[in-house]
Amino acid sequence: MKLLTKLTLFITLSKLVIVALFVALLPSLIEKIAFQYTNYYLREQKKKVLNVVSRNGVDFYLQGDSSYGSYTMLKEEYISLEPTKLETPIDTIETSKRIVESDTLNYRVLSHTFVYNKKNYILEIGKTTATINQYNDDLQRVALYVLIVLVVITIVTDLIFTRFLLRPLGLIIKTKLLNRRFPFKEHIQPIKTSTQDFKLLDESFINLMDQIHETFEKEREFTANASHELMTPISILQTKMENLMVESELDERLQSRLLEMMKTLNRLKKIVHSLLLISRIENEQFARSGSSNVKDLISDIVEDLEHRLDEKNLKITVHVSPTTIIKNINNDLIFQLFYNLINNAIRYNKPNGSIEITDTLGKDFYSIHVKDTGIGIPEDEIPTIFNRFKKANRSGNEGYGLGLAIVKSIINYHSLELKVDSKAGEGTTFTVLFPSFMTEN
Amino acid sequence: MKVLIVEDEKTLAEEMETFLKKAFYLCDCAPTGKEALEKIGVNEYDFILLDLGLPDIDGLELLQQAKKYATEAAFIILTARGNIEDRIQGLDLGADDYLPKPFSLLELQSRMHAISRRKYGVQDKLTELGEFKIDLKKRLVIHNTNEIELSRKEFDLLSYLLLHKNRPLTRMQLSEHIWGNFADDDYDSNYIDATIKNIRKKLSAFGNTEWLETIRGVGYKIKLR
Repeated sequence: MKLLTKLTLFITLSKLVIVALFVALLPSLIEKIAFQYTNYYLREQKKKVLNVVSRNGVDFYLQGDSSYGSYTMLKEEYISLEPTKLETPIDTIETSKRIVESDTLNYRVLSHTFVYNKKNYILEIGKTTATINQYNDDLQRVALYVLIVLVVITIVTDLIFTRFLLRPLGLIIKTKLLNRRFPFKEHIQPIKTSTQDFKLLDESFINLMDQIHETFEKEREFTANASHELMTPISILQTKMENLMVESELDERLQSRLLEMMKTLNRLKKIVHSLLLISRIENEQFARSGSSNVKDLISDIVEDLEHRLDEKNLKITVHVSPTTIIKNINNDLIFQLFYNLINNAIRYNKPNGSIEITDTLGKDFYSIHVKDTGIGIPEDEIPTIFNRFKKANRSGNEGYGLGLAIVKSIINYHSLELKVDSKAGEGTTFTVLFPSFMTEN
Repeated sequence: MKVLIVEDEKTLAEEMETFLKKAFYLCDCAPTGKEALEKIGVNEYDFILLDLGLPDIDGLELLQQAKKYATEAAFIILTARGNIEDRIQGLDLGADDYLPKPFSLLELQSRMHAISRRKYGVQDKLTELGEFKIDLKKRLVIHNTNEIELSRKEFDLLSYLLLHKNRPLTRMQLSEHIWGNFADDDYDSNYIDATIKNIRKKLSAFGNTEWLETIRGVGYKIKLR
């Protein structure tokens, strides 16, 4: 998952959890506040009554009656004042039922005793619980709306800011990691950011890739120069041996020793040729403007290799589309690519084995498979088979260890893909994948 | 035929000269571009073998200049540079052939031979091979009035051996001629043996093939006086 996606998810989820929590707690919170406010209100009322009593005497309320009672029109509030025989002073607020004009209602009731002219009186002030909670729903609704608006605003600002903050990272990934191909030929400018961490990351990437490119360039240059420099002495040796071969005083024994030397020189020549070919491919000295019919290409190669197939008594079957054309390729290199793969399929095959060449047309890729019944490649060796001078030693055949390295460089040069499936002892399948825009039917 | 070898590597030039003299070519050597131009100005050559990596003049430039004087000569470019552009440019500038170093002298002579036939219209008389006659142009082997059919590779091998008659050719040299850089010792030597066997079988039905000798441990040669 991308960092931005993760952050977005986290921000949204955490805010939603907070909202849910708040919504769950809101009713009890508001109820508590309402009760507390009611208690406060009742006490204020009590103070007013006591003030009136102390100023005007208790008769201001009683007016000669033994008790006083009054309530508002809808019985939301009531007040009563009467003498009491209770000796212990009380001053409580509690919720209890009262009957007012034959209506039983729930009240929040403040009870208070006080002494006036040596007589005990009890004052009760009540407020229906229904009125206490009458604003709760509205309050809750308003609070919820405000909360939602706030949450949405913070989520939006958070997301905009994280997006802005993470943009350099996205740029680094886009310019430095995606769409970049070994050996990172083009130098890419550092991105602009004030975030120290991204700056460091970006600079490190640039340095690393420049270093890789430089090392690669040096190696390529060395290979090219060394190969050229080796060609001339090899030429001299070869011509000298060829001339020596016809010297009249040369007997058979010397001739066959000279032959051994020529064979060795030939091997050297091939190594140098292959190295030079790889360095030329990496140097992009080949045009990629050719096109080739797959069936014809494979047939040509098979015809060239027929005698080697016969030698091992191998059965070859070719099942490829007769109309498919691959384009934007270098014909010589693609020939060499399949030549090497098929030649390997022969070289590492068992006597009387078989080779199958098939193709599949997928949505994104056109693939050609070269399958043999050979000695196979142990799994742990598969990643290294494309290294130069690596060869499957067990076969006992003499190999130059560069065939697959050439294959790999041709694959890279054409931006193709190569897959290897192998089971030691059972055989190997090499699959070359052409992106569909390189094919035509 | 007169050949100018333009090659700054002295030993290599000498070996080429030795080889070509044995094949009855007349040879001159020029180690620098300047000397080459002087010699081309004075003498007429049939072949100019041109190394591109000369110390004084760029090979391709020399080719252009030399072409003005030696309009009739055939140019063969020999180079260790061997990149594709050089090759294309060389052929565009009018070179007749191109051999990347390291090359086999046998191959060089074979190319020169091919150019002679193509460019100078040198008609191969029917070459006598014991009781047989070989028509290189029509690619035929004839015995009295019988035409003997050989496969393409069989005929290639026979004519290569014939071109280098009286010289032992190794299996490696023969397979390199047929498959070029793709030659592979393990398999192709056996193929050469099998092909020679086929040639002998086809021809000996008509006549004696003693002239096609096997040289033990080395290869084959056509022995002709």
